[in-house]
Amino acid sequence: MSQPLNPMKGFIEIEVRDREGRVIQKGRHEMRSFTNNFLKILEGFFNAYGNYPPGYDARPATKTTVVAPDGTSKDAWIEAYFYYAYGVNTYTYSGGVAMATRAGAGVDSYGIVVGSGTAPFNLNDRALATKIAHGTGAGQLSYDPVSLDDLGLDTSVSPPVYRLRLVRGFKNLTSSPITITEVGVFARNYWKHYASVFVDVMFLIARDVLPSSYTVPAGGSATVAVVIEVVMG
Amino acid sequence: MIRAEVVVELDGREVYRGESKSFVQNFGKILFAILNGTGGVPLNYTGSVSSATVQKPDGSTATVHGEYYTTKTDAQSGGGTAMGFNARAGEDAWGILVGSGSDPESPTQYNLKSKIAHGTDPGKLYYDVHTVTSSYSNTSSYVEITRSFINKSSQPVTVREVGLFARNRYQTSAGVEVDVIFMVARDVLPNPVTVNPLGSLLVRYRVVLTT
Repeated sequence: MSQPLNPMKGFIEIEVRDREGRVIQKGRHEMRSFTNNFLKILEGFFNAYGNYPPGYDARPATKTTVVAPDGTSKDAWIEAYFYYAYGVNTYTYSGGVAMATRAGAGVDSYGIVVGSGTAPFNLNDRALATKIAHGTGAGQLSYDPVSLDDLGLDTSVSPPVYRLRLVRGFKNLTSSPITITEVGVFARNYWKHYASVFVDVMFLIARDVLPSSYTVPAGGSATVAVVIEVVMG
Repeated sequence: MIRAEVVVELDGREVYRGESKSFVQNFGKILFAILNGTGGVPLNYTGSVSSATVQKPDGSTATVHGEYYTTKTDAQSGGGTAMGFNARAGEDAWGILVGSGSDPESPTQYNLKSKIAHGTDPGKLYYDVHTVTSSYSNTSSYVEITRSFINKSSQPVTVREVGLFARNRYQTSAGVEVDVIFMVARDVLPNPVTVNPLGSLLVRYRVVLTT
């Protein structure tokens, strides 16, 4: 039998700065918390076919079920084909994405989202225990856009890893400190054609309660990075 | 915590179970392309939002898309998927494939060393359908994809490697816009497995989540 190996790991890196931009707190923690929603999307990919004839009409051809933050079960599409019935020379604009994370500024429903809860993790988690919302009001943080860096294959470590780095900045524009104790990654499943959006669902794919809290002072900021390492033999 | 296993059964008897340690860099690239999507694009958006470059089994490179909207303006339909594995019976280009090569795994590999093709002739195996099963709980969940192979020839066939191949494909009624097959994992078995005539082989990739 081959040696035990964790094929995918994650790390959360947090850096907190004061209003002058000085680093006042930083840390790195191993993630332990991919959720059942993440596995559901993988199950969808396993089920997807990807070789239907041109003109095929199936909305969707392959789907899976995820649990939204409000606890309701939602269809997440993995493979779909849209057909426009009114004739030729139409614009199709058809397609979608199964698990997007690159949310824009001010969007606190997907991408990296932070919270102040401490409830223990379980695989059925669907939301942060207490989300810190985007905003400038008391208890809120201003959410920057999410970026995802492809750091590529690193063969300098053994075993080699392929590394992705999801990053988001948060600014405290309020007059009081705000404490982060949990970090989540939410994904977006979105499918549309030229006239309609068919699916638009956000769902939690990872959640970690941090072993130590991070306090963002008034006027300060935090940068949260989720580093995903695909481990290769 | 995530684990991945490869299980091999010969004639209904488990002959290998081990940790899969063999994702290749193509998997990292398609994962990037999918996660790098944004969703929420305008209804008239067309083309790619998020893409990556993978290496195809012939060694050439190709662009795959994690988020894509078909572009043909004279088509009646469109759509696709970023990553499909569920190849039908007889399709030996993607899904779970088996081979006879024994070169060690490497993260830059893009193909089996020596694929055993679908067929009923000597040296070939009949590729059956895939099945997908799963189980979910608070503390331990898994999803697995399984494919069986039957030796319908008159000679034994020896398997030494297994691989997982994905298909990235987007199409309209006017034609196929993207169609890329690429390997995402390869495992070399510690001991060769010989499938005798009329014998069957089952290969299972299982991904396990635990708290």
